[in-house]
Amino acid sequence: MIDQFLNRNRADIAIVPRSSIAGRTLALLVAIMTFLSCVTFGAVYLVQNSAVAWSSEVGREITIQLQPVDGEEMTSNVRTAIALALDSPGVGNAEELTVEDSERLLAPWLGDEFDLEGFDLPRLIVVHLSDPNAFDQTALQAKLDQSLAGASIDTHKAWQQKLNAMSGTIVFSGLLALMLIMAATILAVIFATNGAMASNREIVDVLHFIGASDQYIARAFQSRFFTIGLEGGIVGGVAALIFFVLAGVITNYLLPSQNAEQVELLFGQLSLGWIGILGLVLVVAIIAGLTSVTSRITVHRFLAQVAP
Amino acid sequence: MIEFDNVGLQYGTGPEILKNLNFKIDPGSFHFLTGPSGAGKTSLLRLLLLSLRPTAGRLNMFGKDVSQLDKQGLMALRQRIGIVFQEFRLLDHLTTFENVALPLAVRGEPEAAYRSNVRELLDWVGLGHQINARPELLSGGEKQRAAIARAVIAKPELLLADEPTGNVDPELAERLLHLFVELNRMGTTIILATHELHLLDQFRFPRLQLQDGEVSIHD
Repeated sequence: MIDQFLNRNRADIAIVPRSSIAGRTLALLVAIMTFLSCVTFGAVYLVQNSAVAWSSEVGREITIQLQPVDGEEMTSNVRTAIALALDSPGVGNAEELTVEDSERLLAPWLGDEFDLEGFDLPRLIVVHLSDPNAFDQTALQAKLDQSLAGASIDTHKAWQQKLNAMSGTIVFSGLLALMLIMAATILAVIFATNGAMASNREIVDVLHFIGASDQYIARAFQSRFFTIGLEGGIVGGVAALIFFVLAGVITNYLLPSQNAEQVELLFGQLSLGWIGILGLVLVVAIIAGLTSVTSRITVHRFLAQVAP
Repeated sequence: MIEFDNVGLQYGTGPEILKNLNFKIDPGSFHFLTGPSGAGKTSLLRLLLLSLRPTAGRLNMFGKDVSQLDKQGLMALRQRIGIVFQEFRLLDHLTTFENVALPLAVRGEPEAAYRSNVRELLDWVGLGHQINARPELLSGGEKQRAAIARAVIAKPELLLADEPTGNVDPELAERLLHLFVELNRMGTTIILATHELHLLDQFRFPRLQLQDGEVSIHD
């Protein structure tokens, strides 16, 4: 099928058998390696995308924390803090995190029935920044200190740094794994190609005896190995694509909503998008190219070793 | 066409398999190559097929000293030689047509250029009805005729045959021999290795007799 796609002249004699155990082994090997590479690439891509989106979202948000202070009216302080925040440059919106909101956020750990009303907890105001560059945290803190007691600003920078470090580690580990898989692919292709050449030794000898040049024999085998690499690569790539589609379906429809949210927190939406799919196509092309180049070198070495 | 000048051959540091070979093969001649097992027939054929080089003396083929040739040069000379093996050595995944056409295909000729020639040759050797059959479906005699057709399709100047009648019955062996004689009449130089003495008696051609690595010629 690939041969026809590549527009090979169908009248050409297929010097190398189209199907052999060695060829099938190589195709299976390339398919598995491509699948692993694509899944690794996809996971790295999703984590990276999710981290960038999360980091950007967190960077656009600060929290004003109001500690309960004896003699202070909390409701009035909350309104003052909101007014001061809205009056600051770069702030788009500011709203109080109500007790109900806090109960909802803490429900996974404390349960649905837990009542926060009886606790003297700090009150939180979530401030959304319309322009993070225009926002002056020091100026707002000064205004809060002048008007209110026990008000502080949390910019989530520590979280942001931890998240960046975590996503950076995941991306680095993923790329390292990808490189190791590629290296393993090269080694495996060398072994598989040597095996395929050895099992086709009779063909090589006969071709030599009837006057075929090394270049001709090498071309025939390379072309076959490239086809095998491309077929295996496409199978592995499509399998990886199906894996991501299924993972998305399972996350969205089969997992309990809280688990799904946690998966989504790490990977974002389990959808690769066009850029991610293009990345998978690139991985398939790289694996097919690696198979082709590796087998080319192996074939030439093999031919140099056999008798003239 | 072929000139052996004190040619010797040994494998590694082992004993000399062929010693001081001195003889010439003229164009258009037919020679039997004979001798007991282990006399060096296969080694001599491998020298002629250029898959081995002499370790002593000089072997001249088609006006060229084979010891001086690089891989490209060997390949060019090999295209002027046809070879028939005792064990046929047809490629199992190819049809009779493809096996026979192989020497032309590896020279880069398009199928359209050789299709009719291959069909004609297959008819000539009596395999016109097996054109699309793979070797596993051919009888021993048919395989050998396909191997002969493959050896001669590119019109080689020299045809080497290593025990071509070794795997066929006596009646077919005689018919195959007639085929070689016919090819020789058409101008192909032939060296045919065999140990079947009754065949040698039927056809009066010079014999290269190998004994203990040395050759003697009997007209």
